[in-house]
Amino acid sequence: MRVNPNFTPDILNDLWTSQAEEQTDIEELATGRRVNVPSDDPSAAAADVQNQALQSENDQYLQNTTNLEGVLQTADSTLSSVVTALNQAISLGTQGANGGLSSSQQQAIAQQVEAIQSQVVQSANVSYQGSYIFGGTVTQTPPYALDSAQPDGVTYSGNSGTNTVEIAEGQNMQVNLPGSQIFQGSGGDVMGSLQQLITALQSGNSTSIGTATTQVSNALSYLSQQRVFYGSAVSQLTANQSFLQQEQVSLQAQDNSLVGVDMATAATDLAQAQTAQSAALAAIAQVIPQSLLNYIK
Amino acid sequence: MGSLSSSMWIASQALDADQGALDATSNNIANQNTPGYSREIPVLTEADPTVEGNVTYGNGVVLQQIQSVRDQVLQLQIADQNQQQGSAQAQYNALQQVQSLFSDPTQGIGADFTAFFNSISQLSTDPSDMADRQSVLTAAQNLVGDFHSTEQNLDSIQSGLNQSVGQTVSQINTLTAQIAQLNVQVGQMEKLGQDPGTLGDQETELIQQLSQLTNVNQIQTENGLTLTTGSGTPLVVAGQSFALQTTSGASGVTDIASQGQDITGSLQGGQLGGTLQIRDTVIPGLLGQLDNLASQFATSFNAAQASGYDLNGNAGQALFSDTSGAGAASNLTVALSDPSLIAASSDGTAGSDGNVSNLLAVQNQALPSGESPLDTYAGFVSLTGNLTSQANAEVTASTSSLTQLNNQLGSVSGVNLDEETTNLMNYQRAYEAAARIVTTVDELTQSVLDMGSGVTAAP
Repeated sequence: MRVNPNFTPDILNDLWTSQAEEQTDIEELATGRRVNVPSDDPSAAAADVQNQALQSENDQYLQNTTNLEGVLQTADSTLSSVVTALNQAISLGTQGANGGLSSSQQQAIAQQVEAIQSQVVQSANVSYQGSYIFGGTVTQTPPYALDSAQPDGVTYSGNSGTNTVEIAEGQNMQVNLPGSQIFQGSGGDVMGSLQQLITALQSGNSTSIGTATTQVSNALSYLSQQRVFYGSAVSQLTANQSFLQQEQVSLQAQDNSLVGVDMATAATDLAQAQTAQSAALAAIAQVIPQSLLNYIK
Repeated sequence: MGSLSSSMWIASQALDADQGALDATSNNIANQNTPGYSREIPVLTEADPTVEGNVTYGNGVVLQQIQSVRDQVLQLQIADQNQQQGSAQAQYNALQQVQSLFSDPTQGIGADFTAFFNSISQLSTDPSDMADRQSVLTAAQNLVGDFHSTEQNLDSIQSGLNQSVGQTVSQINTLTAQIAQLNVQVGQMEKLGQDPGTLGDQETELIQQLSQLTNVNQIQTENGLTLTTGSGTPLVVAGQSFALQTTSGASGVTDIASQGQDITGSLQGGQLGGTLQIRDTVIPGLLGQLDNLASQFATSFNAAQASGYDLNGNAGQALFSDTSGAGAASNLTVALSDPSLIAASSDGTAGSDGNVSNLLAVQNQALPSGESPLDTYAGFVSLTGNLTSQANAEVTASTSSLTQLNNQLGSVSGVNLDEETTNLMNYQRAYEAAARIVTTVDELTQSVLDMGSGVTAAP
């Protein structure tokens, strides 16, 4: 049977094919990726877009978590100093309620409580990176100012707004309590009770001093309850951080199985392509010089 | 009755025939590597015999024809595969450029979307922070910038294709003019029952080249071939070729016309058809989708902006402008330059991040087109990837089919050197033998002439 005497195109085709395979394998090994252009695996490439977005979002959640930790810790430690101050006020109140004190001694105690009051106001006006953290969503002006005309001894210029931040996919966390809730809450009025104690001490009435001290102690326990919010928020963030880090690892693993290359397979493929190419080259070297003319003298 | 002169005549006929056969062999060997060459075989037949009584005398050999060995059906199949391969290759080349715009998952529009929403998410942790607000604007600029550059890149791929349309059309015109010239000669020879030989080879080769460029229908007529495009527009009729014209269309695209009629839409197959497919269907489709995405995304984000308040307590203004449908991807701009105008607040206070959730919702909400912005973008990636890998598969398939067909054709028409060498030796021996007959008859004639002269012929 007659066959095509011109085998050059066939052989060249084989060579090109094995060369192209070699190139693909080398590219895969060099980049560590099986999918380098969308046509390598269109659905994996599209899924990779999503995966990269999820990884990047995850990074952002981590960033949010870190940012929030700072402000929440500031709030927590500030409230801790308020607790200390209130405890002082309670012991001063208890001391003031003692019947054996002279009026001037009571006035002196009243001044100490006034100092505590302004210290608490100062704490309530704490700011983090330029934003006041106990003013609700009014963060550009200090929320509290001393104002003896007010029954609570202060004016509150904040609001009752709260903010939430997304700290993981679909997970929103409330990140602040308004000052009005912490310091002037219905369950215990820190500002009001301090003012009440000051007024009682100034008036020298031991009964009302006692009542006011009880009020301060109520306010303290209420404040401690509110403080739990920040404490648990900080620990939630810590837990979230490790969740996000784990999530990152699993997203990377997914990405790798989507578009990553199996090094062993790619290396084997490369070796095979190289073998195919040297076989094709050897065949060319063998075949091309063969001709009847070689045997005719 | 046999005679010396008839033997001499037979031998000289044989010398002629063998010379002709040697010519054919020599021509075959010479054209061994000529593309499109079909091997030629000498058609040798016996000369008519002379009958005298009961004896029939053979009258030697006649070289009737030198015939090219062809297979028309295979040629047609190859032409068909050529146009498929030309089309697939043109599409693949263009699509490779297109898909490269969508190939890096960490860059481009998709990554910009994520970065943009990340910057907003970051803002929620400190809504009054100016640096965070500025990052939102920067991310929006990047997004808009990548919409612009993707659109421009698609445009420039399109105009590159447009240029190649013009070039391909002029190649087609050159080829059809050449074919028309050959067609007359080949047609006349065929009419006379002659083998068109190398002229036929040349014409076939030119038709194969033409098939690479566009889909060609071949109709055999009395006056040679008639070539038309796939949809019937004449290209070559007998000795006349019909050149295609290029005209500049509405939006700067090159339209193709034949005898004043626009045939751009009807051209399929071949390099030209493939190029037109990408230029007129695939890229405009992508551009349209890109415009939709830009427009719908910007509109939904502007709506989310409007539902909140900026840092100064004013109602949120549109972040993006020029968001209307067609051309949105290239026209879209970031309207705000003051970072305090990002509407993060839901109640007008500077510290509220209540509207951030509305802004972020745009990220995962379905746009009117049915998918979220990122999903829509991922759709582009898989669309261009699929088109490219499909075109690549077609190139591979048509190439291997072409290889096979060419092998078949080669087994019919290809020049085998071993075969030619064998033939060469055969004709050489035959020529030598015929020459020997001439010598022998010459000697015999000498003997006849010497008869009766007393001189005997050499012993």
